[in-house]
Amino acid sequence: MYTLLHGFYKYLVQKDEYCVLILGLDNAGKTTYLEATKTKFTKKYKAMNPNRITTTVGLNIGKIDVDGVRLNFWDLGGQQELQSLWDKYYAECHAVIYIVDSSDRDRISESKETFDRMIASEHLSGVPLLVLANKQDIPDCMGVHTVKPIFNQNAHLIGARDIMLMAISALNGDGVDEGIRWLVDCIKRNSVDRPPRNHDDNL
Amino acid sequence: MRILILGLDGAGKTTILYKLQVGEVVTTIPTIGFNVEQVTYKNLKFQVWDLGGQTSIRPYWRCYYGNTDAIIYVVDSADRDRIGISKDELVHMLREEELANAILVVLANKQDMAGCLTVAEVHQALGLDALRDRTFQIFKTSAVRGEGLDQAMDWLSNALQARK
Repeated sequence: MYTLLHGFYKYLVQKDEYCVLILGLDNAGKTTYLEATKTKFTKKYKAMNPNRITTTVGLNIGKIDVDGVRLNFWDLGGQQELQSLWDKYYAECHAVIYIVDSSDRDRISESKETFDRMIASEHLSGVPLLVLANKQDIPDCMGVHTVKPIFNQNAHLIGARDIMLMAISALNGDGVDEGIRWLVDCIKRNSVDRPPRNHDDNL
Repeated sequence: MRILILGLDGAGKTTILYKLQVGEVVTTIPTIGFNVEQVTYKNLKFQVWDLGGQTSIRPYWRCYYGNTDAIIYVVDSADRDRIGISKDELVHMLREEELANAILVVLANKQDMAGCLTVAEVHQALGLDALRDRTFQIFKTSAVRGEGLDQAMDWLSNALQARK
């Protein structure tokens, strides 16, 4: 009887959990974005000082509750030698957020090539993609109209999955909110194909 | 805050502890038991425990796990033969309930040695890509040259402060 009631209680309060990968070249602003997202969606969250965020070689995690679901973020290192580790996480993720440094014109094509390599993976097929043109706070950076056509090529790789490109500034938080809400809608729609990670847990 | 320095014997744990505390490279002997020191880094006070890493004393590590805020796991990047053992000890340790919330810093030490493992290789050899629910960061260090320790402590103090 206890088990039954306990299970029912858990059923009522437990949120569906989804995992979101944050990828992109080194210095694109992935960790700063993660901090900005945590700040937006967590009451009283004391964010790390952006000036003290260093190059990630490893994993940063984050958890937020939004629109009735829980998102677990995995922010990985973006340096070339670390990109080979990304695919270890593909099969378990429910969405990918790909961060682009809009102020770095020299590396935009490198970023696009890395993006193409990533979406070509069969383990990511059908997974919603949110591409964020970051660092919009920097004067003279590339806007959506410049970045979008670059990432819109290769429609055959993107296929039928949801994809959206938005302009943001992780530094001052502009656009962070809208992106996450769009992504949550997509993740919920896609949950038939990629069910939440706690779905088959014993209640 | 309470920090444990762990790793196999000969990885450089004691050298790191004293490099952090007195800023010098001291001559060390294999630690039987532990060394504990108060380390102040940028106004943050840490109580740092350096536990002996020999096979026979590794089972005692777990006696120290309670209330640990962070683990500094030291790897001898030049010791390709024993990286597998190092991985097993790490995996075993991270399963402990008491360490569920501890932040992990991996020091790929002895980067001054020729032919040592790169960070990506250490990442893979330690099986860190299996971690899903813990923040961790790897740093290249050379304790004898004093390289990389500042970056590691900087990151750690930042991560510990953000978590409060």
